[in-house]
Amino acid sequence: MNLRENFKMAIDSVLANKMRSFLTMLGIIIGIAAVIAILGIGNGATSEITGTFNDLGASTITLSVSNDATDSEAITDADVTALKESIPEIERVSANNTTSASVRSDFDTRDALLSYGMPDLQYINQTMDSTIVYGRYFNQSDYLDSKDVTVISEDTAAALFNGQTDVVGEQLKISDNAGNQSDLTVIGVVKGTFQDLQGSFDLSQMPVYAAVPLTTMEKMNPTIKGINSLTIQVDSKDAIESVSKQAVRILETRHDAVGEDWYSATNFLQALDQVDNVMSLFINFIAAVAAIALLVGGIGVMNIMLVSVTERTREIGTRKALGATTGTILAQFLMESVILCLIGGIIGLVLGIFLASVVSNALDIVPNITIGSVLLVLFFSSAVGIFFGIYPARKAARLDPIEALRYE
Amino acid sequence: MIEIKDITKIYRTGGEPLVALDKISLSIQEGEFTAIMGPSGSGKSTMMNILGLLDRFDSGTYYLNGKDVSHLSDNEGAHVRNKEIGFVFQSFNLMPRMTILENVELPMVYANVPKKERNERAVKALERVGLGNRVKHRPNEISGGQKQRVAIARAIVNTPSVLMADEPTGNLDSKTTLDIMRIFQELNAEGTTVVMVTHEPEVAEYTKRVVLFKDGVIRDDYPQQQKIL
Repeated sequence: MNLRENFKMAIDSVLANKMRSFLTMLGIIIGIAAVIAILGIGNGATSEITGTFNDLGASTITLSVSNDATDSEAITDADVTALKESIPEIERVSANNTTSASVRSDFDTRDALLSYGMPDLQYINQTMDSTIVYGRYFNQSDYLDSKDVTVISEDTAAALFNGQTDVVGEQLKISDNAGNQSDLTVIGVVKGTFQDLQGSFDLSQMPVYAAVPLTTMEKMNPTIKGINSLTIQVDSKDAIESVSKQAVRILETRHDAVGEDWYSATNFLQALDQVDNVMSLFINFIAAVAAIALLVGGIGVMNIMLVSVTERTREIGTRKALGATTGTILAQFLMESVILCLIGGIIGLVLGIFLASVVSNALDIVPNITIGSVLLVLFFSSAVGIFFGIYPARKAARLDPIEALRYE
Repeated sequence: MIEIKDITKIYRTGGEPLVALDKISLSIQEGEFTAIMGPSGSGKSTMMNILGLLDRFDSGTYYLNGKDVSHLSDNEGAHVRNKEIGFVFQSFNLMPRMTILENVELPMVYANVPKKERNERAVKALERVGLGNRVKHRPNEISGGQKQRVAIARAIVNTPSVLMADEPTGNLDSKTTLDIMRIFQELNAEGTTVVMVTHEPEVAEYTKRVVLFKDGVIRDDYPQQQKIL
């Protein structure tokens, strides 16, 4: 008996009891659908997060100083120069601090997010598009001379100057939470759209944004001493790990703090590793749930196949009398349970893809269902069919033809 | 063509061993139409199962077409049944979900006959039993007599050397019984060897030879003038 005959018989038999077949498949359907949906959503979320990290700059390192460190451990200009000189892979480097402040123009007062750092802040600020629209960014001489200058975003300009955006040369009064005040001249306006992780910040809810040189901030607020967070951009992703280590070592040496653990470097590769770790934990968990679902589904299939063998005892006896060998009967029942599981798997697959796209739509991510997971589903459903079908099929194949023919 | 010698079959289920067949020897020639008769428990059904290679026996020998089939494996037995023996059962034993044509094709499926040839031979066999126009029906759409004719078509489709019928008319009314017996007589007249188990003497009258079993032995074995239908 060839495979095609066998396949046709199995399909006929599955279709003969449609409701029963469907209920039997249900365990498999639910298991497979859950796996496919969750894998699709999980993969979609991972690539979304990974993509965001890459956009933000997978080639940046953040050096930070521990809160336990004293003022003498704060990063200085001299440290920054030393880092630049000893690590050629460093492309840009800037302090990257933010504080909240209030900003007043002749027309209005607003709460503002105040960034302060070095001129390279323009390129490494990850939350702000610092493309110049009017004027210029603050430069090295502004920085060295602690000039009273600021760069604000277009939205900020519009908010503070009655909708006007070309406000280069205008004056602003900035006061921080401690009451320190400073009069600053606007020297540049940047595009300044906030880029958060989801790309969907509501700007009207956000404070306005201004950037000033670190030295200017230090002049205004004497309690700010040195830098406690430094962002470094390296020329290639591959250099991230080695630059991170070197930078920490240089700072520790310069501050005589080897082994004190005051300086730490974080980068997006580590964050990505973390995401990967979380995802693989998640995927293993899902795999375990899927295994249980398939186990339960498989037991259901075995149960119904045993019922089917009993119901068809006489049929099996007749087939044997007509010349069916044990192998033929075995193959027939095995094919039937594989078909049951495979159809269940395919329905589960379709259902899972549907669920994944519905949920992903709601979460605003793109579901990612790979050919690999589809093949895995087909493979596993067949495997479940064989594993749980073998016992009933053997039982059928080993029936004594006379007993079977006599069975009422 | 059937040569059995000293066949003994003992059932050992439960307490006392039960001797179902006690040193039976029987010879059936090609072209014979034999009725195996006897009351229930006489051993006639056991004899039939052994002749049909469905059951094993404890001692003795069985030659079918000159070949020793006394000690075949399960699968060897299946092949011999498929090629050499056509079965007709009391309750027809058709596959309910298959069409009549597919039912008749089934022995050829197990013999790996190609689809096209299967179809042609099945249609021919169904025409032979007068059912050439019902091929697409399912067993539950036809009468009992028609079902048994389908079963006969299925039994002859692989051109076996012997037809084994176990109470083939047991579930049929008297008129349909005659129809079925006529088909057996026609097939026998064309050269097919037929062995039939029955407990009805009036059915046995249509055969050429009667073998009478009682208590596991052959009590009587005689040729008779066949009543032609």
